[in-house]
Amino acid sequence: MVAFPVPLRRRRERAVAEGQALITTADWHRPAVRWGIGSAQLLLLVGLVIVGLGPLLWLAKSAITPTTDTITHPMSLFPHGAAWSNLREAWSNVNVGRYFWNTIVIAFGSWLSQIVVATTAGFALSVLRPKYARILTALLLTTLFVPLVVLLVPLYVEIVHPPLIHHSFIDSYWAVWLPAGASAFNVVLMQRFFDNLPREIFEAARIDGAGPFRLFWSVVLPMSKPILGVVSVFAVLASWKDFLWPLLVITNPDRQPLSVRLPTIQSQTELGIFLAAMFIACLVPIAGFLIFQRSFLRGPGLSGAIKG
Amino acid sequence: MKSTRRATTVTVAVASLLVLCASSIPSAAAKSGSTNAASAVTISVASLIPGSTQAAIDQFNAQVGEFVKANPKIHVKSVEYQWTGPTFAAKLAAGTLPTVFTVPFTDARTLGDNGQLADLTKEVKALPYFKKFNPAVLAEGTSSHSKIVALPTAAYAQALHYNRSLFSQAGLDPNKPPTTWAQLEADAKQIAQKTGKAGYVQMAKDDNTAGWILTTQVYALGGRMETGSGTKAIATLNNPQTVTALNILKKMRWTDNSMGNNFDYGWSDINQAFAAGTVGMYISGSDVYTNLVSASNIDPNIYGLATIPLAKSKKAGVLGGGTLAAVKPTANAAERAAAVKWINFFYEQPLISKAQAIRNAQTLVDGKQPVGVPALPIFNKAQYDLANSWIKPYTNVPQAQMKPFTTGIFNQKLIPEPAASTQSVYHSLDAVVEAVLTDKNANIQQMLAQANSTAQDLISRGT
Amino acid sequence: MTDLARAAVPHSRPHRRSRRTPITWVRGGGLTTLIFLLPMLLLFGAFSWYPIARTVIMSLQHTNLVQPATWVGLDNFRTVLHDPLLPKAVENTAEFAGLALIFGYPIPLIAAVLMSEVRRFRGIYSALAYLPVVIPPVVAVLLWKTFYDANSTGVFNTILGWIHLGPYPWLQSQRTALPSLVLESTWANAGGTVIIYLAALTGVRRELYEAASVDGASLWRKVWHITLPQLRGVLLVTMILQIIGTAQVFLEPYLFTSGGPANSTLTVLLLIYNYAFGNSLGGDYGSATALSLMLAAFLAVFSLLYLRATRSWSTS
Repeated sequence: MVAFPVPLRRRRERAVAEGQALITTADWHRPAVRWGIGSAQLLLLVGLVIVGLGPLLWLAKSAITPTTDTITHPMSLFPHGAAWSNLREAWSNVNVGRYFWNTIVIAFGSWLSQIVVATTAGFALSVLRPKYARILTALLLTTLFVPLVVLLVPLYVEIVHPPLIHHSFIDSYWAVWLPAGASAFNVVLMQRFFDNLPREIFEAARIDGAGPFRLFWSVVLPMSKPILGVVSVFAVLASWKDFLWPLLVITNPDRQPLSVRLPTIQSQTELGIFLAAMFIACLVPIAGFLIFQRSFLRGPGLSGAIKG
Repeated sequence: MKSTRRATTVTVAVASLLVLCASSIPSAAAKSGSTNAASAVTISVASLIPGSTQAAIDQFNAQVGEFVKANPKIHVKSVEYQWTGPTFAAKLAAGTLPTVFTVPFTDARTLGDNGQLADLTKEVKALPYFKKFNPAVLAEGTSSHSKIVALPTAAYAQALHYNRSLFSQAGLDPNKPPTTWAQLEADAKQIAQKTGKAGYVQMAKDDNTAGWILTTQVYALGGRMETGSGTKAIATLNNPQTVTALNILKKMRWTDNSMGNNFDYGWSDINQAFAAGTVGMYISGSDVYTNLVSASNIDPNIYGLATIPLAKSKKAGVLGGGTLAAVKPTANAAERAAAVKWINFFYEQPLISKAQAIRNAQTLVDGKQPVGVPALPIFNKAQYDLANSWIKPYTNVPQAQMKPFTTGIFNQKLIPEPAASTQSVYHSLDAVVEAVLTDKNANIQQMLAQANSTAQDLISRGT
Repeated sequence: MTDLARAAVPHSRPHRRSRRTPITWVRGGGLTTLIFLLPMLLLFGAFSWYPIARTVIMSLQHTNLVQPATWVGLDNFRTVLHDPLLPKAVENTAEFAGLALIFGYPIPLIAAVLMSEVRRFRGIYSALAYLPVVIPPVVAVLLWKTFYDANSTGVFNTILGWIHLGPYPWLQSQRTALPSLVLESTWANAGGTVIIYLAALTGVRRELYEAASVDGASLWRKVWHITLPQLRGVLLVTMILQIIGTAQVFLEPYLFTSGGPANSTLTVLLLIYNYAFGNSLGGDYGSATALSLMLAAFLAVFSLLYLRATRSWSTS
């Protein structure tokens, strides 16, 4: 093997550095390995395209296909032309825009609630370290082991008849935002991350005269961007997926998020228009994912979180 | 100490923020009713079911506008509303129902007894036509302490809806819908064979509608689901007619294969499927044509309405039900008065006042909504005929196609739904219907015995 | 006094314990700490700890939010245990969890191992795998409900018709309804597991593989003796998390079939929901909370047994 072009060797070395280790470069030279694993990977790619992308492509196609065509020939491509009116009607009649906006508002509030609780509590437990930190951490961990189902009914009753305030919180977004903040997972994640921050920086800041608030805002938070990113993504995704809780507490149709509204109107809405509404509902999460997937899927935050 | 001072400042700031928030909460959403000093009253009223077309919504708003013009001191907010077994209780507990909402005959009395509906006796007795109400229908809205807690707004009987176009395609005469159950089975089979569409479908969803239609069938064969009343009632779900009804379904499903491929239809989706032309016949309330138009834009030419075939038994009859309008128990006197005014205007006047009936019909026609959908009288029959004559010129439903029902229904015995724990009885039957339709070897006797004991248990507990 | 606070008070002499009064506590930074902890304390108190306590209390009462609650001792538990639907719900939930484990556990692992060895375009693989996770679950379920149309013109039946299979009843038969739900659930969730495995695979030290290669180990042996043991921690955690998650499945049975046909997709959580919110005249919150407690207790015991059994295998 006299003269491989230098770029090739560099490329292979770079590939190895990214975590590929099981199959060494020597292995790849063996044709059995190359063809065997290679075809398995190709098969996987084809499988992923069909299974991962297929349903979405069908949804996109059916969103602009007339209902009768979708019902009688679901797999054919526009036998009678496209029906762009589906999208228009989904937007105006079904009013997807409004429910979409509701979903965003709910996600934003839930995100803020979770960030505020996780950062402040994590900071207090990890940096300020009061004497009673152990008790608090223990209380937090117990909630981690309590499955959500246990909270459902009493939380609902609490929202309907809050103990001190004699006014139900049903139909108020606070009923979704506030309980979302009580996530022990986030607090523990933050606490762990803060634990791993170098203490010298805190010392240095303290010597410079920084009080705890300054320390929090100007030192710890800026250093926590990766974990803030991870928690934010989890928070927004969780809010987007949330179904049962908003179903129970938001009964006013005008204020419902998409996840609650769509099933309710299914039997009153023509299939083509309904599919168009579902397609619109997917656009933002997919777009957001495509934009951020690089940093999320490969970023240091995620591996750190998983190893932790 | 700088940090201590800052800490205290922050504490004060946070505390005041909390106080602000807390104080904003009570006034934040006094949505559903209020009275201010200038004696203007605001009430919220149930409007249309979620997903209704814009035309239907506009028509409703036009009627609201008319009411508000005649009653300037009353502000009306319309709220989307649909009564379903699972969702109603949650809204009731949370207090998020509009001031005026509707409940079916089955629940009103129990709700009234539990103090969950406002007492409207005074306001209702003051209505000029109070004595004209059909006593049996009015009784549905009267609690066991003789308080009137809800006003009847509509009564219906179960009916057989059929697709005239599919009948023709199958070689059947669209003007001769089946009059016996044997005929119905044969027609369904023919439709399935000749057109490939489902000949007959039946509601089989777990939300009490499966049990409701099965009860309808059982009544049509001469059976009853209960004897007695209140918590002392005896459940008779496993009577011979129920077994017969289930065997009819079994035959149509597995032997004739005339029921299509989907067996999870609820009230809304069966309408949707019918309007889409995929169903030959189904049983539902006689008034669903309104929903077929407003939600699914049905082609009027395919619609046919007939009476349900009755067995040749003295006890055979057609299940009748209806809707009542009720008021939230937390409404104050002014709101109650306004609410009854609205109920009077929107629900009762079109049946009792010629001028209002005509105005109402005009608005509906302008909004391309159906006028003249067959209903049952909530007043006496004379009033019923009179009201129909007023709106005759505006009737835009295919009346000729509904003749088999409108001529036949008054010869059928009208039977009220089982009185004790109605929804629970229906719910116990849901699984039995679903089992028969999805499992060829379902053990009907065993499942019915199970359903009967479950229902009996619930009846005795009064739920 | 906290680390930071002690450092910030220049005049304190660490070896002279001052009297602990409210002033010293505030000066020592105790108030600051409390302020930082306030959001957590308030929200957890109101929406986590208090509801947990209330669950226990409500399970011993007869509540329907209209009349005042009455104490009924263990009655609710007795009612739930005698409910003929309970065995069905438990059986269905176990079947769901079991099938989900069979379909959804090995496949992401195999995919992740294959993907970790992809030299180019690995991003495309991960993006495709994760895409179904990003779709709102309600949309995914409603979409698959359309796919599962039992007519021969339904999407899946049409596709299977191309290879002369079917048509299948999918959600319309008691035997196929639950597996249909599991299939959709796997599709919607496997991507997340793949990504987790991928991230964990990057942590496997290359020297181990190289040492094995030097020893002449084949690919298969390397996977079995190095990859899997190194992933042990992650594998065990994902398994228990998946079991706990699927034990509480609600969305799929609720939206696809409402527990039908004939309760063949009724899960424990759906039963709890029906107790609380299913009766048009008011919910039986006592039975609902009793059943939730029983489920929580079961999961807790299961987790403890699981952790004990796997302690000897886990590296961490």
